[in-house]
Amino acid sequence: MSGPLSSSSWLTIRVQFILAAVFVVAGFSKIVDPPGFAHQLHNYQLVPGIAINAMALVLPWIEVVCGLALFFGIARRSSTRILGVLLVVFVIALGINLLRGHPIDCSCFSTATVEKTEAERLRDMKWAIARDVGLLLLVAQSLSASRREERV
Amino acid sequence: MKRRGSFWREAVVILAVSAVAAAASNLLAGPERKLRWIGSYAESGPAPAAKAPARPVSSAPSAAVTPSAGDGKEFPPHPDKAWVEISGDEVTALHARGNVLFLDARRSSVYRDGHIPGSRSMSVWEADIDDKVRQLFSEGRDQSAPVVVYCTGGDCEDSHMLGQKLYFVGFDNVLVYKDGFPDWQKRGHPVTKGDTP
Repeated sequence: MSGPLSSSSWLTIRVQFILAAVFVVAGFSKIVDPPGFAHQLHNYQLVPGIAINAMALVLPWIEVVCGLALFFGIARRSSTRILGVLLVVFVIALGINLLRGHPIDCSCFSTATVEKTEAERLRDMKWAIARDVGLLLLVAQSLSASRREERV
Repeated sequence: MKRRGSFWREAVVILAVSAVAAAASNLLAGPERKLRWIGSYAESGPAPAAKAPARPVSSAPSAAVTPSAGDGKEFPPHPDKAWVEISGDEVTALHARGNVLFLDARRSSVYRDGHIPGSRSMSVWEADIDDKVRQLFSEGRDQSAPVVVYCTGGDCEDSHMLGQKLYFVGFDNVLVYKDGFPDWQKRGHPVTKGDTP
């Protein structure tokens, strides 16, 4: 990510707004239903049972706090980096389940259990990974721009 | 180096704010939204049966009475397995007996929208599940009598998890409705709405 686009403040502001909006919406959808999110986390079969609830309670708030920080321009760089780490974790978690052929609901923007076939779930998981990779590109743009700003 | 230090400082603040917000939100949440910080799902899983655990001493009557009915089918206790799966036909026959306990393992909001008549709500994902299991235990029921648990069938494991919890307090005749509530509806059986069984 270099060149005029990566450092354009016009673009960076919009990228940060999109990231903020996506994560605030995603976080709130889980905050309203922690048991539902804990259920979905359990379905990933990656988190030890003892840690599922704590993760279901705190993770959505990290998304919201980082999103709001980004929106209000507080600790922008750190918030963006944390969101980047979260996105990498999401991609790995979905990828592992995709590789082992275990269909799950992504639970990215809703904790409701939707009736779907296994094939539909696996297809949606691929789309979720693609979306997360797209968001990671936005994170990269935002980090690259803020690094340039610091240098100037 | 300075920037790295600032990142960790800000990251710690962000995590601390998130943890405090999560604690406050959970504290203010109603019973359906509340979650215990420490999960108790370690023992759950897709295994079809569990080894017999160390059982608590039960003060409840434990006479192994196997109810039988006009359908002729017997459901003996299975102390070596946490649960066994049964079909929709068997569930229909057990429900017709009228004296078999039915437990709904789905979320209570879903239970409210429609459940098997007579079934009690016992969502394994809600904070009061252990209290409900304890209450069931303290009712002094025959722990070897059949108890039917169900969720949404398919890959839903909630009923198996509830079966596991019941097994650990001494119920040794938990029957999991394999195809769950969707199958009940598909069969055109009656459905009750609301908070009460």
